[in-house]
Amino acid sequence: MAHGPARIELLQGTLDVLILRTLVARPSHGHAIAKHIQRTSEDLLQVETGSLYPALHRLEAKGWIAASWELSDKAKRAKYYRLTSLGRKQLSIEQSKWQTFSRAMELILNPLDQEAQ
Amino acid sequence: MTSFFRKLSWLSRHRRKEDELQEELQFHLEEEAEQRRAQGMATEEARRAAHRDLGNIGLLKENTREMWGWTAAGQLVQDVRFGTRMLWKNRGFTAVAIATLALGIGVNATVFTVTNATLFKGFPLVHRNDRILYMTTSRGCCVSYPDFEDWRAQAKSFEGMALVHGLGITFSDQSAFPQRYTVTEVSAETFKLIGQKPILGRDFGPSDESPGAAPVVILRYGFWERRFGKDPAIIGRTVRLNGAPTTVIGVMPRGFSFPQNQDLWVPLVPTPDVRRRDNHETWFVFGRLAEGVTIESARAEMEPIGKRLASAYPRTNQGFLPEVRNFREFFIGSNATIIYQAMWGAVGFVLLIACANLANLLLARAMGRSREISVRIALGAGRWRIIRQLLIESMMLSGLGGFLGWWIAKWGVRIYALAANGASISDETAGDWFDHILDYSMDYRVFAYLVAISIGTGILFGLAPALRLSKFDVNTTLKDGGRGATGGGRGKHLSALLVIGEMALAVVLLAGAGVMIRSFLNVYTADLGFKTENILTALMSLPKLRYPGAEAQTSFYDRLETRLQAIPGVESMAITDFNPGQSALSVPYELAGAPPLNEQRCPRVTRLVISPAYFRTLGTAVLSGREFNDADRASGVPVVIVNQRFASQYWPGENPLGKRLRLFRGTTPEAWLTVVGIAPNIAQNGATRHEFDPVAYLPYRQQPAGGMWVIARTRVPPGGLATAFRREVQALDSELPISFGPAPLAERFAPALQYKGFTAVLFLIFAAIALLLASVGLYAVIAHSVSQRTQEIGIRMAVGGTARDILKLVFMQGMLQLGIGLTIGLAAAFAVTPILKSQLVQVSPADPIAYVVASAVLVLSATLGCLIPARRAMRVDPLVALRHD
Repeated sequence: MAHGPARIELLQGTLDVLILRTLVARPSHGHAIAKHIQRTSEDLLQVETGSLYPALHRLEAKGWIAASWELSDKAKRAKYYRLTSLGRKQLSIEQSKWQTFSRAMELILNPLDQEAQ
Repeated sequence: MTSFFRKLSWLSRHRRKEDELQEELQFHLEEEAEQRRAQGMATEEARRAAHRDLGNIGLLKENTREMWGWTAAGQLVQDVRFGTRMLWKNRGFTAVAIATLALGIGVNATVFTVTNATLFKGFPLVHRNDRILYMTTSRGCCVSYPDFEDWRAQAKSFEGMALVHGLGITFSDQSAFPQRYTVTEVSAETFKLIGQKPILGRDFGPSDESPGAAPVVILRYGFWERRFGKDPAIIGRTVRLNGAPTTVIGVMPRGFSFPQNQDLWVPLVPTPDVRRRDNHETWFVFGRLAEGVTIESARAEMEPIGKRLASAYPRTNQGFLPEVRNFREFFIGSNATIIYQAMWGAVGFVLLIACANLANLLLARAMGRSREISVRIALGAGRWRIIRQLLIESMMLSGLGGFLGWWIAKWGVRIYALAANGASISDETAGDWFDHILDYSMDYRVFAYLVAISIGTGILFGLAPALRLSKFDVNTTLKDGGRGATGGGRGKHLSALLVIGEMALAVVLLAGAGVMIRSFLNVYTADLGFKTENILTALMSLPKLRYPGAEAQTSFYDRLETRLQAIPGVESMAITDFNPGQSALSVPYELAGAPPLNEQRCPRVTRLVISPAYFRTLGTAVLSGREFNDADRASGVPVVIVNQRFASQYWPGENPLGKRLRLFRGTTPEAWLTVVGIAPNIAQNGATRHEFDPVAYLPYRQQPAGGMWVIARTRVPPGGLATAFRREVQALDSELPISFGPAPLAERFAPALQYKGFTAVLFLIFAAIALLLASVGLYAVIAHSVSQRTQEIGIRMAVGGTARDILKLVFMQGMLQLGIGLTIGLAAAFAVTPILKSQLVQVSPADPIAYVVASAVLVLSATLGCLIPARRAMRVDPLVALRHD
């Protein structure tokens, strides 16, 4: 699979947040979710299909997303996932966690930039 | 809806979820292919690229499925289902495996149940018997009453202490003939101490102990049942104990007896004679530990008490120190403990062999399954999943084996109880009390043990093959056509090691059983020094009231002798205070001219009182000097006959005739005796010991006693004369009870003999099972290797190998394993069999004959195990073999 030059391995637990975030805009099927993540991250993140589907089913089991069979834009039956209210709550928790985390990483990795500001 | 209920609802829609997953992934593939085509790929190439992108679909599905439920449970059901299919497919293998396991687990559960009865359940009718201690002195016997009182007053470690004293007694009432029973004198608090009380009537109280109190007796349940038909009106009735009117005050609960096989209990009345500190009769002290006190601290407390008493009463207590032992030790004894340990070891070995066998079978089968496993790995099964699947299969086998083993154990225990009944560990006590007290039923402990060993064996024999199988290199295995992966290298080594282990264990068991059998044969054919057959024996006790003195007693026996001799078939008659071969009194003694009696060492000699015709009646004669005769009476010179062993031990190389010695009664010396004769060695104190103790024989006219055994040598089988014998006694004295017999003397030796035979046969059975399993194991491994090497054998034959070469090739493989196993096993046997030493009679634990026979038996059966597959190899047709896949 020859894609972008510097792809990043997904950190443990990040896939769940990415899926939830992707579903905020609209319900979507597995393939579209994967492509969306890839595209939005400018091809920096590559979602392994091997872990995407187990993750979707896990989130469904937790009740953060719900699934239903609908027709795709090409008029084929596809399993569409959408965010539940529980999932929305979970997403905001996860989001603030990530923001704190990334700010912390930023502070440690680039202390000079901070001082300069 | 919580996650739990969502998963629960999914569980019922498993099939639909499966279809949906398939559809979802299919959609993904199509979508991906579509996109790639849009980017300009050819249709077929795009489809393949999409597949590659998705990766291992089987693994992906498996991982996704895990999210649906409680993974472990769901997979377990799946694994068990699959396992059932696999086991059913290989029915032959499954049957052999289950039978092997059932045998191994069955004998283990049997031994556990039997041991459980004694070691864990203990004595259900003795409350909290783990807190009961048994106390005696450093001399083995015995505690005097004043010592007991001092112990009880001074020791703080005990809640209470009781003294018991067993003796024989004649019981009579109007309902039946007078009979001899065992009665135990107990201090009043004894039953309270062990936590029991009569189910009928009352317990002893302090007033029953006071001198001059009205005599009372408490009955054993079985005695009450047999003699009085469970008549509840028995309480308050008067019976006669040794002629003295005694009131029955209670009946103990069913199955209860204490301390051993007692029929009656009477209170121990401390008469002046009992209160003498030098009166060391056969008294035992039992104590119940106070809360929070350990046996060690009780021991530590008793020691200074004993030392204080020893310095306060040096004449009687010098060298007597209290010895504190566990109640269980008192009951089971070191003899039985060793047998139990050895049985555990033996069945443990059997189970290990069964496990090794199964591991080998599984390893062999693994080769057949390597392709299946490789496919499963290729389809996405993780390593752990494979191991788990294989372990579940072996657990299912051991579970089924355990279930069957339970049935085997049920029957095993039943047979054991039947065989053990009547067999006795000691020479004289019949084994029946053991069974009255012991409960051989299977309780939760047996069940827990069964489950534990079933699971344990499942893991033990399943793990090695499972680990090996899960390490496959998928590519080579699939290319290899399913051989190779375990066919060579370490798989083979492992299986050879297992066979060697089996051989070694089997040798140890065979050698152990061999020495036990040898020992039994020694006992069975033992020379007791006299002819045991055709001897009738009966115990009489002449009541003091009617036979007050020596004169009256000897005159009775004289008249009895005349009458018995007149019975056709009776050759001669003698009387003795103890039967030949059996236990007799041993007393301290002193030789004239030797240093005075050393209180510390206190050497003892067996003392037997006999009538002149004793040796003649036993079918032997004195070796030198003379027999006793009617002139050896109270007014004559006190004389003694010693046996050969005595003479050679104390007067080696001298003429013992005319030498003098004296015996002691307690600590009081009796008159000096002159040796007038040397008797041949006749076994005494245990017919199975195969050792002759020094014995001093005294003439009964100089040592009169009320209770004597009458023995008669008969020309015909002795049992037939019992009625005539009884009639003659009745004719002399119609009220005189015969306490025991008349019965053939040989019967008295039967229980102990039976016990030795029983244990020997038990070990033989274990060894036979081990031998069978080990030989089958070797056979299976060789047979399997032959079928694996069919191609190789074919090639060898094609290039000119003869049938002999092939036979040698296959044979040598088995013989090498046998040889190594045999060597290790013999070395192990030398190390292990000495624990049996105390059980062996006149045979060394490393008895060469037993070892040689054990080795020969193993070699023979292993050769057979090799020969069958080797002959099959010989008949391989090269043409067929080369095409063999």
